Amino acid sequence: MKLAYYPGCVSLSTGKEMDISTRAVCAALEIELEELSDWNCCGATHVSNEQVATGLAARNMAQTELPIMTPCSICYSNLRSAVRRLEDLEVRERVNAVLEKKYSGAAVRHALDVILESLEKKDERIVLPLREMKVAAYYGCLLTRPAGQYSPQFPTILEELTRRLEAEPVELRHKTACCGGPIFMPREDAADDIAFAILAEAKEAGAEVIVTVCPLCHLMLDAKQRALEQKKGQKIGIPVLYVTQLVGIALGLGPEELGLEMNSVSPMAVVERAYEKMAKE
Amino acid sequence: MSAVTAAKDMEFKSEVLRLAGPEMQTCIQCGTCSASCPTAHLMNPSIRKLVKLCLEGRKKEALHNETLWLCTSCLLCTVRCPRGIRPKAVVSALKDIAEREGVRGRDASYEEFFLKQIKSNGRIAELPLTAEFLLVYPQAAVQSMQMGLELISKGKIAAKLERIEGRDEVKRIVEELRE
Repeated sequence: MKLAYYPGCVSLSTGKEMDISTRAVCAALEIELEELSDWNCCGATHVSNEQVATGLAARNMAQTELPIMTPCSICYSNLRSAVRRLEDLEVRERVNAVLEKKYSGAAVRHALDVILESLEKKDERIVLPLREMKVAAYYGCLLTRPAGQYSPQFPTILEELTRRLEAEPVELRHKTACCGGPIFMPREDAADDIAFAILAEAKEAGAEVIVTVCPLCHLMLDAKQRALEQKKGQKIGIPVLYVTQLVGIALGLGPEELGLEMNSVSPMAVVERAYEKMAKE
Repeated sequence: MSAVTAAKDMEFKSEVLRLAGPEMQTCIQCGTCSASCPTAHLMNPSIRKLVKLCLEGRKKEALHNETLWLCTSCLLCTVRCPRGIRPKAVVSALKDIAEREGVRGRDASYEEFFLKQIKSNGRIAELPLTAEFLLVYPQAAVQSMQMGLELISKGKIAAKLERIEGRDEVKRIVEELRE
C-alpha cells in the first residue's frame, strides 16, 4: 500500500517522536509513505476564517493523487472539514482560483485507521504482545470530529487496536474530552484544569499508559505532566504514548526507532515489564 | 437606539449568518452547546447566549467578551446541536469579525501571530511564535520557560524557521480567500 504522508508542523518540533514512530511502524507494516511535497501548515485551531482554512488544506491535498495519511488529529480534522466544504462547487471554484495545482477531491486517513487495517488479528508481526498492560485510550476531540467514520462521542477504535496488541484497554469517561491544548498559551489555567482532569481519571482508573493520537493532547498530558503535578500537588507518573509508539513496541521496534527517549515521562519501565513478562512465559 | 445603529446591527447579524451558516436562525436556545462546553464554567456570556446576541444583532456584546477566546475548538457543541448549528463556527465568525475590526488583546494577538507566520513561511515554528507572543503577554513567560526547558531537553524545539517553496501561494490563500 502506498500513501501520501502529511506530517504536519509539529513533526519538526514538539511532535518529533510522533513522526519518527509513524515512519518506523509504517515501514515495519510495509505501508509505503511518500511525503507530500512542499506541504504547508493546516492552520491548526487558529485560523478563524473558514475559507482561508479550506484553502490551506486544499493546497496540501492538491499535491498528490494518492490517499493522504496524517498522524495528527488536528491536521486530520482540518483536511476532512475542507473536503466537505470543497464539495460545494462554488467554494471549490473560489479556492482553485488561488491554487497553483488544482484541488479535485481527496481521500484523507488518520494513521490510526491505516495501522489498524494493516494489522491482522493475532498478527505474527506482533512479537511482543502487551499482555495485561493497562492502556487508557484517550482520543481527544478532533480525531472523531466533525462526525465521520467514527462516533464523535463514543468511538471504540483505539480500544480495538489496544486489544489487537493484546493489551487491556482502560475506558475513560474523558476519552473524547478536550485536552485544553488550543488555548494553553493565552489561557493557561483553564487549559491546565482540563488536562489535569484527564490525567487524574487515568490515574484513578489504574492506567499504566495513556495512548494518544494527537500531538497537542500529547503535549498537554506528557510534556506538561510534571508541571501539572506540581501545580495540583498530585503525583501522576503515567507515560503517554502516541498510538504509533505503542504499536511499534508490540512490533518489537527499539526505543530509538520509536523516539521513546523523547517522551517526557519515560515509558521505559513499562516497556521493560512487557519484555520481562514475555521472557517468563 | 437610533436608526443608524439598528441598521448596523442587522448588518452584523447578516455577516455572522454568512460566515457561520443560516441554520443559526433555527436556534431554540436549548443550551446543549453550553452544557457540552469544556470551558463553559468560565464563560460569560455562555455559548448559548452568544448565539442569541448575534441573532439579536447585539454586536458590541457579541464581540467584546472572554467567551470567544475560551473556545478550545473541540467541536462537541457542533456534533451535539439538535438543530445542526455549528456554535464553534459562530465563535470563529466572531473572531474573524473582531480581527478585521481591530479588536486587540492577548488571545487575538496569538491568533494574529500564528496566521502571520503561516503567511510568511507556510509553516509554524513554536519558538518564534512564542517569542512574539511573550512580547505582548509577558505573564505567560513562566509557563513558556518551563515548557521550553522541557522540550529543549528532549530535542523537540525546532531551531530553524521552516520556509516552504510555495509561500507566495500560501500568502495568496490567506489574503485572497478571506472575504
